[in-house]
Amino acid sequence: MHEPEPAAPAEPVTPPTYEDATARLEEIIKRLDSGAAGLRETLDLCREGRALVEHCAAELEAVGEGLEELRLGELVARLEAGTGTGGA
Amino acid sequence: MADSRTRPAGIDGSPLPGPFGVGAYAAKLREYLRARSRVQLFGEIWNLRVSPTKVYCELRDADGAVPCSMWRTDFDALRLGDQALTDGAQVVVAGGPDYYAGSRTSSPSFSFAITALRVAGEGDLLAQLDRLRKTLHAEGLFAPQKLLPRPPLPRTIGVVTGESGKARDDVLAGLRRRGWQGRLVWAFAPVQDRHAAPRIGAALQDLTATGAVDVIIVARGGGSLADLFCFCDETLCRTVALLGVPVIASVGHHTDRTLIDDVAALSCSTPTHAAESALPVHCAQARADVLAIARRLDVHGRRALLHRAQALARLSRAPGEHLAGERRRLHQRLREIRAAGRRRLETEHARSARKAIVLDRKAHAGAVEARGGGRLDALALALAAHDPERALERGYALVTDRSGDVLTSARAARRAGDVRLRFGDAELDATITDDDARA
Repeated sequence: MHEPEPAAPAEPVTPPTYEDATARLEEIIKRLDSGAAGLRETLDLCREGRALVEHCAAELEAVGEGLEELRLGELVARLEAGTGTGGA
Repeated sequence: MADSRTRPAGIDGSPLPGPFGVGAYAAKLREYLRARSRVQLFGEIWNLRVSPTKVYCELRDADGAVPCSMWRTDFDALRLGDQALTDGAQVVVAGGPDYYAGSRTSSPSFSFAITALRVAGEGDLLAQLDRLRKTLHAEGLFAPQKLLPRPPLPRTIGVVTGESGKARDDVLAGLRRRGWQGRLVWAFAPVQDRHAAPRIGAALQDLTATGAVDVIIVARGGGSLADLFCFCDETLCRTVALLGVPVIASVGHHTDRTLIDDVAALSCSTPTHAAESALPVHCAQARADVLAIARRLDVHGRRALLHRAQALARLSRAPGEHLAGERRRLHQRLREIRAAGRRRLETEHARSARKAIVLDRKAHAGAVEARGGGRLDALALALAAHDPERALERGYALVTDRSGDVLTSARAARRAGDVRLRFGDAELDATITDDDARA
């Protein structure tokens, strides 16, 4: 009897960079605008596009909540206190 | 000599001679200095100032400095270009020490009186810079920063600049112009002269060490090349070249590139431009673009479903429409067939009529012929004598059962029970009531 092999640990999915995401969105819109995509492909592209839009919106949100000015010393203190990733 | 009446008493207990009048001493000092040997010196020129009569500067090297002066006429006679004696330029001068004794209303000053000057060709600052630039380039140190990926939307931007300089405001203005509102980390450092270089290098390394900074701007508001000499420091430039975070340099010098401009990922002419370059994405514009894309995706999604639903609806109606079409075609066929039948009947009828006429004519012709012979008439009379209708007209009746079979005997009539009596003018139904028939 063979033990079922344990599933390989899922590779951590690297989120696309903002640049990659916007480039892919342009491709998707181009494909949709061409009208050549079938129903399933259209729905798949729309689903993928919405996920990318959410990703881009989150990236923009992260740099849109108000300018935060810190001195280097303050940043270091925060990082040492473990709150440095709190962000703006 | 000072008047003895105005000369004060000396310091009690001092073994030194005097006191002497300061003017007399100053004159003696000038005389003494002017008696020193005339020599040639070399070093870097700094702080050159030109007045109507004299030119002042300092001659410096790593071990010390001497204030210098030169008559304006001698200086002008050298016909040096504007850039020849920028701060830091290496020169050789000839002359000797001199002393301006001053007076009650003017300050004294010591200077090395220059009588001749030569710019030391290869030793000047720009030539040094050029050599260092070639060395760094040959070592491939211009490339690493340019190969670093620069994030399009940095969340944290580090800025190395002077705390009180205008560059600080310019960087902020550039970031605001891009609609960026992330985290800005200031690493203030002196940004002038050679002593600043180690502080700038340390600030860059500290920012990088946090691991939280996506891009670093090094900014200064401009100045002479000598002011910006710290940005040509070899150690600083090597530090920048090997830094793991992209550095955008903006040290604001339009005519000469500093070495940090060469090793940095990007070199910009102003701090504002550097800030904008740190943000390839215009945040406000990008927000509008993403919103527009989201809307277009929605439209595409909805339209795709709507079109398919309409197509499906068309398809679902198709069988019914097909049947209706077939039905219409069949009805049409039927009408055509009926019409064709009617036409055929009419045609046949017309043909029959024509045949009847022909037959009639033939019969008429036959009768005429028969009358000629008389035989046909005799046969007709004999036939008529046997016609049962004639007998019925004379009062006989024909008895049949209900199915029309002729009953030729009383027994057959009894068996049938219900009979039909056919007279010459009509038929009557009758029932045999004879008792024997029921027996």
